[in-house]
Amino acid sequence: MSGAQGGIDTRRIADVALAPRFGRGFLAALAAAALGVLLLCYAVVVLLVVGLGVWGTNVPFVWGFDLINYVWWIGIANAASLFAAVLVIRRHGLRTAVNRFAEAAALAAVLAAALYPILHLGRPWLFWWVFPYPATYEVWPQFRSALIWDFWGIMSHVVVTSLFWYVGLIPDLATLRDRARREWQRRVYGLFALGWRGSVQHWARHQAAYRLVAALVLPLLLAAQTIVALEFAVTLVPDWHQARLPVHVVGTGIPSGLGVVLVLAVLLRATLGLERYIDDADMDLLGRLFAASALACALIYAGEIVTALLENPRTREAFLSRAFGDYAPLYWGAAVLTTLLPQLLWWRRLRHIPLVTVPLGLGAAAGVWLDRFSLVAGGLVRDHLPRIGPLYAPTAAEWILLIGTLGLFVLALLLFARFVPVISMFETRHEESEREAP
Amino acid sequence: MREDPPRPWRALHALPEPPQPSAIPAPDRRAVLRGAAASLALAAAAGCDAPDNFGQPLYSRPRGVAREVSWFATALELEGLGRGVLVRNQAGHAVKVEGNPAHPASLGATDTYMQAAILSLHDPYRSRHAREGGRPRPPLAAEAALAEAREALAARGGAGLRILTGLVASPTLARLIGEVLDAFPGAAWHQYGPLADDGALAGARLAFGAPVAVLPDLSRARAILSLGGGVLEEGPAQLRLARDWAAAREAGRRAGHLPSLLVAEATPSLTGAKADRRLVLRPQEIEPFARAVAAALGVPLAAPAAAAHPDAPRIAAALRRAGPEAVVLAGRGQPAAVHALAHAMNVALDAPGTTLRYADSPYARPEEAGASLRALAEAMAAGEVTHLLVLDANPVHTAPPELGLPGLIRRLPFSLHAGLYLDETGLACRWHLPLRHPFEAWGDSRAFDGTATIRQPATVPLVEAARGAEEILAALLGRRQEGATGLGEALVRETWRAAWQEAEFEARWRAALEEGVVEGTALRDRPARLREGWDPGPAPAPPAGTLAALFAPDPGLWDGAMAENAWLQELPRPLTRLAWGNAALLAPSTAEALGLAPGDEVELELRGRRLALPAWPMPGHAPDTVTLPLGHGRPTAGLEGGGGFDAYRLRPADAPWTAHGLVLRRTGGRRMPIATDHHHEIRGEEIIRTVAPGEELPPHRPGPSFYPPWPYPGHAWGMAIDLDSCIGCNACVVACQAENNIPVVGPEEVARGREMHWLRVERYFIGAPENPDTAFQPVPCMHCEKAPCEVVCPVNATVHDAEGLNTMIYPRCIGTRTCSNNCPYKVRRFNWFDYARGGDGVRVANPEVPLRIRGVIEKCTYCVQRIGAARAQARAEGRERLRDGEVVTACAQACPTQAILFGDINDPESAVARAKREGRNYALLGELDVRPRTTYLARVAQAPEGPAA
Repeated sequence: MSGAQGGIDTRRIADVALAPRFGRGFLAALAAAALGVLLLCYAVVVLLVVGLGVWGTNVPFVWGFDLINYVWWIGIANAASLFAAVLVIRRHGLRTAVNRFAEAAALAAVLAAALYPILHLGRPWLFWWVFPYPATYEVWPQFRSALIWDFWGIMSHVVVTSLFWYVGLIPDLATLRDRARREWQRRVYGLFALGWRGSVQHWARHQAAYRLVAALVLPLLLAAQTIVALEFAVTLVPDWHQARLPVHVVGTGIPSGLGVVLVLAVLLRATLGLERYIDDADMDLLGRLFAASALACALIYAGEIVTALLENPRTREAFLSRAFGDYAPLYWGAAVLTTLLPQLLWWRRLRHIPLVTVPLGLGAAAGVWLDRFSLVAGGLVRDHLPRIGPLYAPTAAEWILLIGTLGLFVLALLLFARFVPVISMFETRHEESEREAP
Repeated sequence: MREDPPRPWRALHALPEPPQPSAIPAPDRRAVLRGAAASLALAAAAGCDAPDNFGQPLYSRPRGVAREVSWFATALELEGLGRGVLVRNQAGHAVKVEGNPAHPASLGATDTYMQAAILSLHDPYRSRHAREGGRPRPPLAAEAALAEAREALAARGGAGLRILTGLVASPTLARLIGEVLDAFPGAAWHQYGPLADDGALAGARLAFGAPVAVLPDLSRARAILSLGGGVLEEGPAQLRLARDWAAAREAGRRAGHLPSLLVAEATPSLTGAKADRRLVLRPQEIEPFARAVAAALGVPLAAPAAAAHPDAPRIAAALRRAGPEAVVLAGRGQPAAVHALAHAMNVALDAPGTTLRYADSPYARPEEAGASLRALAEAMAAGEVTHLLVLDANPVHTAPPELGLPGLIRRLPFSLHAGLYLDETGLACRWHLPLRHPFEAWGDSRAFDGTATIRQPATVPLVEAARGAEEILAALLGRRQEGATGLGEALVRETWRAAWQEAEFEARWRAALEEGVVEGTALRDRPARLREGWDPGPAPAPPAGTLAALFAPDPGLWDGAMAENAWLQELPRPLTRLAWGNAALLAPSTAEALGLAPGDEVELELRGRRLALPAWPMPGHAPDTVTLPLGHGRPTAGLEGGGGFDAYRLRPADAPWTAHGLVLRRTGGRRMPIATDHHHEIRGEEIIRTVAPGEELPPHRPGPSFYPPWPYPGHAWGMAIDLDSCIGCNACVVACQAENNIPVVGPEEVARGREMHWLRVERYFIGAPENPDTAFQPVPCMHCEKAPCEVVCPVNATVHDAEGLNTMIYPRCIGTRTCSNNCPYKVRRFNWFDYARGGDGVRVANPEVPLRIRGVIEKCTYCVQRIGAARAQARAEGRERLRDGEVVTACAQACPTQAILFGDINDPESAVARAKREGRNYALLGELDVRPRTTYLARVAQAPEGPAA
């Protein structure tokens, strides 16, 4: 297969994956991420040996970083997948540039997220009890529990996100197989390319499958995010027990996912020299999308305030204490970072300054994290009975675990950048050829 | 993020920060676990017939533990006065304490100390060896030393021998001390209890010229005036007084007008919390107030009140209306004059014979403890003492520091301390002997009303070398065991053989052991006539503008003797909600005037002695007064000091209760005490409901439910808790802890909000902080019919049983904690660490209740093990249904006021069903419609002077 069809040469992308060395910068980044993963292992071992007591949780704040970070990671994953899926289904031009790494980011985030529901259990080694296996005692899971719905949600999420990423990768894996200079590379890429030969039949089936999976992503992602929100919304906790919560969680998750995609795009452009593939127009579009999602987020926040004030007194008080009580900085930090600051990207000039877009993108991710913190901890400050215990504050063990999952996320992305094409080569070629054709 | 500690009425944004445990001089978690290892020993004991040593299995009865349960009637003493208990013995080991229904000071109820005694019994940090100079010696060496002392003393007629005990009411102990004094005429006996109410004794002497004891009968009281508390707080008669008060209140509720409890006090107390009318007075204002009320009652006084108190006429009118059915009681630590005024008012009201009776003191030799100890210190300082025996007392810790007791004791040629622990006094004395726990030893005791109990061992002795105090005295007398009966038992038998006729001795002895009370030993009425000139006249006013220090027993550690008990350390104090420590309590207004936030460290200076401790504003506290709870901050306790600060270090000898001239300085530091309560505000009406007498709450109509109702054809267990009767004493909390093997988690974990108590007693303040209305609300699991916890558990680990219990299946729980999130009552507890089995962790006693491992949720079960045991018993007797009252939960059994009712709500005649039909019945958070099986009976309030005549 020739990469030099038309006006664009995708060999550069393939060369990245096939290069024998990657340079010191990459190694340093890899080492840092590996260190993070080591920290993760440490945190997990401590957790398993000593117990959940190492966290800052208590009664009533039984959930802390576990759920905060889980919901946050899921939000990033969902937004990134959603973004990629929309691009694929709409055959949007931007998809060639960003959807591959958006999918990768989603997958890495799902992996990081999936750790939490298991680790947050009092007895994590029994997590499989939520699966309806035929037990001798004929005890089944409680299908009315949102945690069971969530189990299915996250399972589907992992499966569909992986499929989406992998199906999209198959033609490019074949390209890598064909370009590989070493025998083992050829064999490994060949194995995962599933015997792709680029026949028209292959292409036809691939396109159908790819779009089918992308179409699956859409409802599933909405469902997954909604179910996460339902874990809170179906409880009796006044601040959580609101029908608007799923919209809130889905809607506020989008800027953080887009923010992460934006940051990754800037980083890939800068470090791997892919300006040509992720061009300024792509960045422009991404920036505008990001700002638009933040605007949607602002509407959700406004809606929250209005509905909370119209709610029964207990819910109203609970919301007011979340917004103005102990955890108020989290609430307002989230509001500023996810709704106000991204609006700067409506200025065309700012959209092209990495020093602006990167902090804003990271800020949105951090803002949504604050929002999840505000929801999980701040939502419990005002319950039906007056609170009896101290507040929740994360401990070192929880921070280490968070850093560890960040390390896992980065490591997964680095390995992705190292071993598979970061930009969809076949889509790029396809787009170029379409452009050349008329 | 936040700096301000809990203040009930502050605005939303000023919520407390999580306390920083490191700032508190508290034992670390490991130390606590070690300290709480008593429960471990207790568990080992419960299962120790089993050959293996693997501890208590999680899900089943330990191997080798017999089902057979035996009960031993015995007594526990507080201030030397006995309260009858029944000790459950399983497989040879004492595992649980209940009150003895036949005993007048218990009536089947227990207080926190009685419940917690079982933990002290098994405390591995109890003293195990005789010691000389701190080094372990064989027991024979101690006996030889005692024999040597005996010979040395006999040669000079006992000159130089002093015996120091706590207050003694035990006939056998008193008899043996008498024998020692007879054998060594030069010897002297001193009694000292740091909380001994010398004022009451002096007041009785002032009023009647003799140490007359007042025995109130509150069940007949229509009006009670309490001067400085002293009715419902901890004390040797608390259980009886509380029961009688509750009975009178119950009768009043039925009759439609309540008896009134009128309280004038400086430090908020349980009595004040239940008062129908509470006056906040500075300590120096109580006597003038009492004088004013007395004057209004027409009591002839040496000098009239300087200024009439504005409330005095109304209080007097209320008393006057009740006439002989009124009673005036003065609390612990009130000066003699206040006690004398109370006596005079009672006489003026014609109360004797109706609401109180006079009797001789139950103590063997009533004496003022402060004076007795001072006499001992002076004799030691004068070099008149060569031999000192300290029996079951810890004067080195509890004596006023100006007496210099530690130095004086160390200088003695021979000093011997016998105690449960190697405490401060044990370290100061030359010799130390481990003392038997009351559950291991023979003895006897008398209750506040004189009723005697023969104490019998309820378990095999757990400390080989330990002796009873009686045996040590016998050794000093040179007496040995004769015959098959052990020395301890022989000594007690000897006492009672003298009291009873020989022919009926064995029968009476057996009856006394079985019953737990000795028939006919209650104190007989004695005449008491007010002395001429009983009124010493008004006390001089203290210098204006200074603070007063009030010393008070800690409602948990008592005088400090309970400081080794992890259950009591971890118990949130009823009013302050502090655990694992104390603080300087002061009025919110005083704190504001001094610029003190809760947890600000202050340095107190009293007569040249200083103590730094945190300040804790206490709603309802008198202004310009600082209350210092005693008994904390002990340096040598097995819990490595516990938390808190040793207020004895400031306590003057001549003013042990109220000392003026306290100087308070801010140090600028912060030491947040561990508070288990961070209430900031109360939506009062919904949570604590109050009705007028006879008023009914509007019935709650259950709304529609998505799920069909579940039929309960058999029993349907339910609970009703009467908030009008609950005095907030915490007995139910400790009883629940003892019954259900609830682990102790230690100060750090409590500070993080991880206490494990299945039952908590909430304390709410309603109204202005100067003098708020105080309400208590015990909150166990509500066992909701539509339990919200059940539907959210992903693995069905919490489900309903066929009798409506919301059960928790520990082996199925994977620890998502979702149930806790969805529990509106927040009664579920999570095992954050392996509290039950981890390493040197906490182990517990009751072999009928499984332990819980790390990572699972636990909560109140309505004592399902007791339901099971009762069902087994009924089946054995061929009955299908259980009778009402056959199942009593641990909390209900302990409750002094019988505020907790438990039973079958399907049985319309059961006590709980009747209570739930009362108009006062309401469900907490009833609007959520989770249909709790535990409901509350509203408080009843009326105008404090009673209904309009």
